[in-house]
Amino acid sequence: MLVEFQQALADLVAGPELCRQVRANPIQLRERYDLSQKEYERLVAMANHPAMECNCMLYRANRLAPLAMNLNEFCRALGPRLGPLLSEYSVRYPNTNVHFYAECDRFCQFILGKLEEGYELEPRAKEVFEEEFARIKIGLAASYSVL
Amino acid sequence: MHRMRALVGLLNNPVVPSIIKYAPDLVEYVDVIPDRLWYDFENEQAPGGRFHRVVGAIEELKQCATGRVLGGHGIGLSLPSAMPIDMAMVDEVAALAAELNFQWFSEHLSMFLVAHGSVPNSQAGLGLPVVYDEESFQIVKSKLEILKRALGCDLLMENGAVFTPVPDTEMTEPEFLNRLYSELHCGTLLDLHNLYVGMVNGVLSPVEYLEHLNPECVGEIHLAGGHELGGFYTDSHSGVTPREVMSWASRFGSHFTNLKAIVFEFHESYFEKLGLRGITAELERIHELAEALTSGAQEAHAS
Repeated sequence: MLVEFQQALADLVAGPELCRQVRANPIQLRERYDLSQKEYERLVAMANHPAMECNCMLYRANRLAPLAMNLNEFCRALGPRLGPLLSEYSVRYPNTNVHFYAECDRFCQFILGKLEEGYELEPRAKEVFEEEFARIKIGLAASYSVL
Repeated sequence: MHRMRALVGLLNNPVVPSIIKYAPDLVEYVDVIPDRLWYDFENEQAPGGRFHRVVGAIEELKQCATGRVLGGHGIGLSLPSAMPIDMAMVDEVAALAAELNFQWFSEHLSMFLVAHGSVPNSQAGLGLPVVYDEESFQIVKSKLEILKRALGCDLLMENGAVFTPVPDTEMTEPEFLNRLYSELHCGTLLDLHNLYVGMVNGVLSPVEYLEHLNPECVGEIHLAGGHELGGFYTDSHSGVTPREVMSWASRFGSHFTNLKAIVFEFHESYFEKLGLRGITAELERIHELAEALTSGAQEAHAS
């Protein structure tokens, strides 16, 4: 079914781990999705295509884009910690929100939750987070105004 | 036959009004992305409704539009997806098209939505490739018919940047586009930089592609530059148009008898890198191209 083929392709692009699993054991595509033989063969070929790595990178870059644009200083302050946090966030929220402020607000709420769980930020990073989160809240509130 | 020179323009972004103020004569056309003029709360129950317009954006565009032609360039409808078209978004696009007087409207021949999620498309051009078969053709065709009725203007479909083409399809991409033109009179927005992306990454031959595309299809050309990411070349709209891309435009463009506009795309995050002078120099280069295509077409017709 085309709808299943498209879902599987989107899942592969959003999940490098799924790509690795399919490369090692392609039959699981059949277990997860209702595919014709041709669709199955196409997906196996695409999962093994060297440029599937590029699709996965671009997916991740595009998910990062709203955060990098609106929480720029906080992303810089996180440095190498940003990657693992983004991975965890992407797994928890696999669907993107096309409203950039809403996506950033959700990410900030995720960070707040991490802080409550004991995740530690140095004072400067925390300060930047609070400043940029406040701006996101203002932007999100303003976007609710109706013209 | 006298052929009109194609208009030269830019893909709208928050920096474009400044460029128009700096070099008003160089920008004759603006491609407007409706999705950037609203906030989509993805929920009809949101206070004030699903779509909230960005304060001031439409007024600014109307000022820019004085003496210029505007067209719409959608990214949100994901026409090849095997799911119903988003009628609320179609209605919102139609309202904007009427308000801003879009002369034509283009969408992407790529998939951004699936039943249980979406592929973010903020930059770098990640749309998923289409299965070029009868089923996909009928899906795209039926949605274009809905869009045509709602907008009432000409429609174009743009070739995407493809990194992993779907293997062993019934039709090639040019055959699919040719059929959209012959059966629906839906033209092609030919993104030559997307062909370049495919060439650099080793998945297509632009010259072969252009030799198989019906030249009458092409209503608009997109030009852009990109950069490498992790060993792959991407459509990031981060630079000026590569020389090879311009050479394809020169070689094939005089045969595009229905060409209405040539657009330079850049992402605003690369504005500092490109600079006002860099962008105006690129626009001047595209004006020269548009002139050359017109005179080339007339010489070919005369001979």
